[in-house]
Amino acid sequence: MSLTPEDDFAAGEFALGTLDAAERATIAARRQREPELDAAIRAWEARLAPLNEAIAEVAPPPDLLAKIEARIDAGAPVGADVASLQTRLGRWRAAAVAAMSLAAMLAIGVFVRETGRTNAPHEFVAVLQKSADSPAFAVSVNIDTRELVVRPVAATAPAGKSYELWIIADKLGKPRSLGVIDAAAITRNPKLGAYDSATVEGATYAVTVEPEGGSPTGDPSGAPVFVGKLIPVGP
Amino acid sequence: MTDSIDLADLLARVSRRDRDAFRALHRATAPKLMGVVARILTRGDMASEVVQEAYVKIWDRAGEFDPAKGSPLGWMATIARNRALDEVRRVRPVSLEDMPDGFEPAAETEDPMASRERSERLKALMRCLGQLDGQKREIVMLAYYRGASREALAKRFDAPVPTIKTWLHRSLQQLRGCLEP
Repeated sequence: MSLTPEDDFAAGEFALGTLDAAERATIAARRQREPELDAAIRAWEARLAPLNEAIAEVAPPPDLLAKIEARIDAGAPVGADVASLQTRLGRWRAAAVAAMSLAAMLAIGVFVRETGRTNAPHEFVAVLQKSADSPAFAVSVNIDTRELVVRPVAATAPAGKSYELWIIADKLGKPRSLGVIDAAAITRNPKLGAYDSATVEGATYAVTVEPEGGSPTGDPSGAPVFVGKLIPVGP
Repeated sequence: MTDSIDLADLLARVSRRDRDAFRALHRATAPKLMGVVARILTRGDMASEVVQEAYVKIWDRAGEFDPAKGSPLGWMATIARNRALDEVRRVRPVSLEDMPDGFEPAAETEDPMASRERSERLKALMRCLGQLDGQKREIVMLAYYRGASREALAKRFDAPVPTIKTWLHRSLQQLRGCLEP
């Protein structure tokens, strides 16, 4: 199977940088599982990369290296098996990229087939959106650590309001708050620890608009503005 | 300017978790990566944040660098650039009018030609870019160097977005045909 002309141009535009947020996220997710598309993007990146040679240098902040090393050290605890940790981190990042895309939702069949061959999946993503073309947040969950990471894709909270994330499952009765989430930065949330794996995997995740700081009553103030369900993306 | 053989060697050592090599790599390339990112993300704090993430990724993935497929600097710059593009598309549509002064495309096209360090690959690419119409070449340069979206380009060149898209596709096709006859 060879690349369609549309995908070939999409690969070129991805490398050039002219795709919009949704197209970019879609291509980024597709390249994770379409080697031909990935190769086409890499080829375009290599064709254009010499342009970087011509770019004038900009002095980095003096503490840049220290900050980078702190991040690296935070990701590699002492005594951990570095190789396996790196592999895990790589997969985690791949999952996060996949989460950026609604294409990830459409690919559910592929993912289920692939992960079904090995062990039960441990990493899941959900794209919270209003409609098919407006992804707003990407949620990643690691079932083992119960770590929940929420990444804004294209969300802007109304002035003076906050976005709040809810977990909704029959077993839980009413929606339970997972806390206020940031529309401009990554939110990491440990509150999933209270729920069992089956509930976390099967639940619906929803975002409501609340007064600043979150719902004063502990219940959603209105209908969700973005919703989504988790799909497995990694072993 | 840094020697590409040295950078490839440093990357190989970084892939074996050599922290000293990583620091040397950072020293040699951080100003360039800052330059790449700062042209796309004009807010300094965001640029620095993205460059940090890029270096963490370079640390994680140094083993994936393949010298047969491009220069070490190109590989690293692509990682940084992709992160910057994710960020700039996410934050808001950028208008070229918002860009600070001193980033005129004419300067971008003259600079590499004047540079003593330009590689054979860059020379070939510039030759091919030179074969595009003036406006189409400017569009490619603005997209690559400044992260201009189709919408921003449409506004700047007073053309509908689908026209910009068509121009981009033709330009890409022409570039590839010129680079790989």
